[in-house]
Amino acid sequence: MAAEPAVAFRSVARHYGPVRAVDDLTLDIGEGEFFALLGPSGSGKTTCLRLIAGFERPTTGTIALFGKDATGLPPYRRPVNTVFQDYALFPHLSVEDNVAYGLMIAGEGRAARRRKAGEALEMVALGGYGMRKPAELSGGQRQRVALARALVLQPQVLLLDEPLGALDLKLREQMQGELKALQRRLGITFVFVTHDQGEALSMSDRIAVFDKGRVQQVGSPEAVYDRPETPFVADFVGASNVLPAAMVARLTGRAAPGSLRPEAIRLGTGEMRARVTERAFLGSATRVELDADGTELTALVPKGHAVPEVGEEVRLGWDPAALHVMEGAHG
Amino acid sequence: MAEARASDLFWRRPRLLLALLLAPPLLWLGIVYLGSLFALLAQSFFSIDEFSGLVTYELTLKTYGELFRASNLDIIVRTILMSAAVTVAAAIVAFPIAYYAARYARGPWKAVFYLGIMLPLWSSYLVKVYSWKLILAKEGILGWIFAKLHLTWLLDAWLALPGVGGKSLSVSWTGTFLVFLYVWLPYMILPVQAALERVPPSMLEASADLGARPGQTLRSVILPLALPGIVAGSIFTFSLTMGDYIIPQIVGTSARMIGQAVYQFQGTAGNIPLAAAFAVVPILVMAVYLTVARRMGAFDAL
Amino acid sequence: MTHRLTFATATAAAALLTAQTAAAQMTELGEGEGAVSIVAWPGYIERGETDPNFDWVTGFEEATGCMVEIKTANTSDEMVALMNEGGFDLVTASGDASLRMIAGDRVQPINTDLIPSWSSVDDRLKDAPWHTVDGVHYGVPYMWGPNVLLYNTEVFGDQAPTSWNVVFEPMDLPDGQPNQGRVQAYDGPIHIADAALYLMTHQPDLGIVSPYELNQEQYDAALDLLRTQRTLVSRYWHDAFIQIDDFKNEGMAASGSWPFQVNLLLADGVPVASTIPEEGVTGWADTTMLHAEAEHPNCAYMWMEHTLSSNLMSDLSVWFGANPAVLAACTDGSGMQTAEGCTANGLDDFDRVRFWTTPVSDCESQNGECVPYYRWVSDYIGVIGGR
Repeated sequence: MAAEPAVAFRSVARHYGPVRAVDDLTLDIGEGEFFALLGPSGSGKTTCLRLIAGFERPTTGTIALFGKDATGLPPYRRPVNTVFQDYALFPHLSVEDNVAYGLMIAGEGRAARRRKAGEALEMVALGGYGMRKPAELSGGQRQRVALARALVLQPQVLLLDEPLGALDLKLREQMQGELKALQRRLGITFVFVTHDQGEALSMSDRIAVFDKGRVQQVGSPEAVYDRPETPFVADFVGASNVLPAAMVARLTGRAAPGSLRPEAIRLGTGEMRARVTERAFLGSATRVELDADGTELTALVPKGHAVPEVGEEVRLGWDPAALHVMEGAHG
Repeated sequence: MAEARASDLFWRRPRLLLALLLAPPLLWLGIVYLGSLFALLAQSFFSIDEFSGLVTYELTLKTYGELFRASNLDIIVRTILMSAAVTVAAAIVAFPIAYYAARYARGPWKAVFYLGIMLPLWSSYLVKVYSWKLILAKEGILGWIFAKLHLTWLLDAWLALPGVGGKSLSVSWTGTFLVFLYVWLPYMILPVQAALERVPPSMLEASADLGARPGQTLRSVILPLALPGIVAGSIFTFSLTMGDYIIPQIVGTSARMIGQAVYQFQGTAGNIPLAAAFAVVPILVMAVYLTVARRMGAFDAL
Repeated sequence: MTHRLTFATATAAAALLTAQTAAAQMTELGEGEGAVSIVAWPGYIERGETDPNFDWVTGFEEATGCMVEIKTANTSDEMVALMNEGGFDLVTASGDASLRMIAGDRVQPINTDLIPSWSSVDDRLKDAPWHTVDGVHYGVPYMWGPNVLLYNTEVFGDQAPTSWNVVFEPMDLPDGQPNQGRVQAYDGPIHIADAALYLMTHQPDLGIVSPYELNQEQYDAALDLLRTQRTLVSRYWHDAFIQIDDFKNEGMAASGSWPFQVNLLLADGVPVASTIPEEGVTGWADTTMLHAEAEHPNCAYMWMEHTLSSNLMSDLSVWFGANPAVLAACTDGSGMQTAEGCTANGLDDFDRVRFWTTPVSDCESQNGECVPYYRWVSDYIGVIGGR
């Protein structure tokens, strides 16, 4: 018998009046998974996280944690902890007291609290910062404190709401690696909300892509990236070219939209012709915008290859395997 | 032309503009406020001549010694107790109102809240106090309500208590307390509400997320974060109660509070030094209060 | 608030120290200066704005061209403070303020020859000690009234109380209920004099000659009596309108009071009456006094003449429930007052009234060993506070 999923949504909807923040969501998150909820703002991914944490209650449907129904359970009775987008550190408490807060609530003794909080701070490389106030820390440090505060309670599921959103690029990349390493070491479930597809792809075991309150696709990063099931996923995850069903039918005989990665397009040889409408130098490559009989395409030309001028007519082609036909998706 | 030149000058010398803008209020504060404070302090170090009743202009601490006479000490203790009681009660009453306003009231309800809080401040202070006298009178509205509810025995039992009781609410310390509480309540609600408004909702979710039940969140997060607001409000309620001389004159047992003593000594008795010494008491009490509040970390979350 | 008040009096006190020069008495009147400013009790100077029937200013302004400016003061002490600050010409001072101002050289002697109607002043007031020092007049008598015993007729029935004991001693009132919690007393140190007056009858061996001149022993006895009274009084009255309200809403049975409140209560149909008990009463007598550095002395003299010769005395005595300083005003039809009205206000009880004067240590009857007023103030505060 398979282990119970860490989080199980069954036909969950959350409506705010006429607004359907989450609609008919059925989703399993396995134990020990690093799971990303990816989508643009307003897509329902944060509501989904808040439903797991218990800050929101479903309008309909049920949520189970490790096989136990948690639909009506208040946040303080759930074996999950959250790292908030704004970190939500308590400004009146020292870093150590912030981390030890949950332990204090749980009634642990002062000595045990200090020891565990110290260990948690060591784990996020903030040993020695315990006496400071949150206001005296940098953004990255606060983020680590929030992490330590959530982890010190040894939750079975850790929820992270855009945890890296407020950090600058370099720090973000560093923290991505650290979070991933941490998750591997602890072996617990991480559920992680982001609108950054790169972050989702590089860190997660599985990704759920959200749009307009509904899950568009659930799958591994490779699957979501290479084999998007809907045009939205193709466009949102890695900015693929979406070819209209008619064009795909002409090329492959199958009448469904197709996705084609910009880097898969080769310029100079091939059946198709297109006009260059714009080009932009990106450093390691040049992005070329093309107009092929009214279908807009984007191609990435690696450094060292010839780049056509704007207005030039070019031939283009691709490895047939690179074209992914999104069966079941409409237009 | 001249205006343009002035603008250019201020652009090049921004501090000049700042100085020009700040000078009048600073002069006002410095000369009028500190000046009068100093004059007050100076007066308190003079004394009144026992025989002629004239003020002797020689520096002495004798007048401060007078404060420790039993009847004067009564006034001070009575006033501080009343101020403390009013402040504590105001904090207790104000907190749920402020919490509701900060967390739940939205749109028109917020406007209703502000109107409800501010409206009493628009009407004359004296009108409010006189109407409370009618509410609290022996044959007044409150007595009538108690009678209608068949609770007159409760009111009588309370009025029979020594200290807080009296012949009717209007002539008891309870009455004075109720009027103070009503009149100063907005000064507690508004700062507490402002402090609670600044607490992000995620802070409360974080606390619940870390296992705290609502009561624990209230104690460990909301109250500490509201504390600067409560302290700010208590500065108002405490000092306003200590300085007031109208309310205890209209409602209560006629026993004096500091404000009345100051008013009476400086006027009736011509004992300006003693009046000044009395007026210094609230300043000292507030200084001590603020120091203690600071030590206890009331301003840490600022 | 208290800071500001204290500062104001502080400066006033400083002004008092520096300006110790008395102006000489005027010898002749000149042209009016076009204005006169007066510090007065509320309700004392009416120009028809409160009630069009009561106006004794407009006519004066038309006749003399002296525009009247009024600054009201609620207590004698406020009056003294305002006069110390200066900038006013006249003040309607009570006996507990007048001597202070004379001693402080804040007011100047009056030349009665310049006031043609001086002779019409009630003889009992002409040389009254609260405005006459060493035979020199410092003002023109204005109004006077007794501090009567106000009582509820539903409690006392037809039988008026004959003694102040109903407000001083614990007892059952005629309705069978104790007086405890149902009597009031004046919230001013001058009330010590009422206690002393009561003791003059009931403890004659104390040797009190004047209720305003008390040696230590007499004073202590008065305070003891007031401490007993404290157990009976639920609230002391300070503001006339609060006392009126208390007789309507708090079930009050008896209190020292002024004819002013009695008239207003009767007008509202409250079952009350007033009486002058056998011990006699204290009272107030006010005098129009001229500031030592008055800017408009000619207009001021014209006003003083006006107070005596116009409708003022008659109408004001109706308006305020007081007695005019000109006896004829009760009968001559110069205003609305009548002989009956004056009798009701206590005109015939003059000899039973002990008028308010400021207690000073240097007193005649007790060989200069009297307890001065500033101690009355602090001790009365103690008594009310339960000491």
